[in-house]
Amino acid sequence: MQADRRRLNAPAGGTAPPTFAPTTTKPPRRARKPDEHRKIFLQTGIVPSAAGSAYYELPPQSIPQADGLLQPATSSLKITCTVHGPRPLPRNAAFSPNLLLTTHVKFAPFATRSRRGWIRDASERDLGVHLETALRGVVIGERWPKSAADVVITVLEGEEDGWHGIGKEAEGGRAGGWGSMSVLAGCVTAASAALVDAGIDCVDLVSGGVAALVGAEGEGRDEIVVDPTPAEHDIKAACLVAYLQSRDEITEMWMKGDAGNELENLLEQAVRSATLSRSVLVDAVKEAAEAKVGLQEPINGRSKKGQDVTMTG
Amino acid sequence: MSTSTLTLPGQPLGPASANNPGTGTHIQSSHVHSSLAGALTSVPSKSKSQPQPTLTITRPAGPLVPETGTVVLGRITRTNPRQATLSILALGSGGEHTCRDTFPALIRQQDIRATEIDKVKVAESFRVGDVVRAVVISLGDERSYFCSTAKNELGVVMAVSEAGNQMVPVSWREFLDERTGVREVRKVAKPV
Repeated sequence: MQADRRRLNAPAGGTAPPTFAPTTTKPPRRARKPDEHRKIFLQTGIVPSAAGSAYYELPPQSIPQADGLLQPATSSLKITCTVHGPRPLPRNAAFSPNLLLTTHVKFAPFATRSRRGWIRDASERDLGVHLETALRGVVIGERWPKSAADVVITVLEGEEDGWHGIGKEAEGGRAGGWGSMSVLAGCVTAASAALVDAGIDCVDLVSGGVAALVGAEGEGRDEIVVDPTPAEHDIKAACLVAYLQSRDEITEMWMKGDAGNELENLLEQAVRSATLSRSVLVDAVKEAAEAKVGLQEPINGRSKKGQDVTMTG
Repeated sequence: MSTSTLTLPGQPLGPASANNPGTGTHIQSSHVHSSLAGALTSVPSKSKSQPQPTLTITRPAGPLVPETGTVVLGRITRTNPRQATLSILALGSGGEHTCRDTFPALIRQQDIRATEIDKVKVAESFRVGDVVRAVVISLGDERSYFCSTAKNELGVVMAVSEAGNQMVPVSWREFLDERTGVREVRKVAKPV
C-alpha cells in the first residue's frame, strides 16, 4: 500500500476507539453448555458470478449487556467463500493431470478490532495453507486434468482472541491466536459447502470443529468445551480438526497450547464439534441440491426456509 | 429408470460387488460412494457377463469441462495452413452448457474431414470468427484440447461473409451470402 507522501496520512495501524471499561465490567460468560455449539447459519449459492459459493455465520449469541457498552461483548463470525473453477490452466502453466487447488484467506480490513491491511499478511497466508491441506484430502483431483480451482475466502467478521475489555483482543489473530482457530473451522465448513455447490467431486463433506481446554471459574477443574469463544474463556489449549465423518478421517489438525493429559479428550471433543457443524452443512448442501435438481419448488427464489436443524453428534 | 434420489458426497450407495461405479461416484472400502450432490440414477446392465447395474450421479449444472468425446461449440480464433485454433464456448451439440471460461482448442488439418484428408486446406474449411461444432478427440497438450470435425454433422454452423453478412449453408462445402450472392467455401456441418 503506497501512502501519499504529500499529505498528512492517518496512522497505518489500528484505529479502534478506546474503550474505557468501568471496573465493574465483567467479561462475558459462556451461556451454553460445554458440549453445545453456537448456532450456525450456512447458505450456498449466494454469489451468482462464481461457480460455487457459501456464506457462513455464527450469529452473536449473548444479549447486549446491561453495563451500557454499545459494543457486543463477544464477536460473531461471518465468512463468505467463493469457488472459481474448474477452469483451464493459464497459458504458461505446465500440463497437470490433477486439479490445481489454490486457497486464499483474507480478512476484511474491518473484520477485527485491530484493522487489517489490504494485502494478505503472514497469518492469513498461514490460514490459507491450513485450509488447503484440509481440502486437498477431500477433493478428487484426478477427475479434473488440465484444470485449476480457486477457493477464495473473505472473513467479514473475525473472532477476537480475547475479551476487548482487558485489551486481550490486541493480538487480533496476528499471532495465530485462539480466535483464528474458530475462523479456520468456519472456513473449512464454508469451503466444503462451496466446493459441492461448484460441482467439484469430493470424497466426503468436510467440516471444521474446535474444542478448547479452559480454566474453570474459581476452584473447579479445567474443563473441555466445544466451540470456544475466546472472550468467554481462559483458554489453555485448543484443537482444530477438519473431519470427514462418513469415512472417519481427519484431513487437518491444529493444536495449540499445553493440554497436558487431556490431549486425547481435546481431540475427541474437536471431532465432536466438527460432527455438530456437519449436520448443518449436510442440511444446507442438501437444500441447495434439491432446489437445483428441481425436487422442490422454490418459493420466491428460495427453497423451504427458516427451518432449523438441530445439531446432533 | 428410477427417478431422482438425491445423494450427497460421501454417501454410501451400495456394495461394489453388486454395482458398477459410474460418473460422480468412487469406491471406498468396497462400497460405491457418491462424490457429488445430485440425482442418482441406476442404469441396468445390458451385458450378461457383468449383470450389475451402473450407478451414476448427474451434476445439476451439467458437465463443467470438455472430455474426450464431448461435442462442443467453439469460435475460430486463428488459422494457419496446419491447424485452426478455436476457443470452446459451450458444451453439448446444441450448446447446452455454456462455459464460464473459454477453453483453448485446436483442429489439426488431418482432423477436419473424414475423406481425402491430404487434400484438405484449412483456409478452405474455416475462417476466423466461424462458429464450429466439433468433437473433442484428446485432452491435447498442456495448452489446447484437440478437436475433430471429421463427421457430417460436425463443422461450421454459423459463418459471416467477407461483406459482413450472415450466410446460410447451401452444400456440404459451401455457404451462401444471400445479400450479395457470393458463395464461400467452408467445412459445413450437416444441419441436425
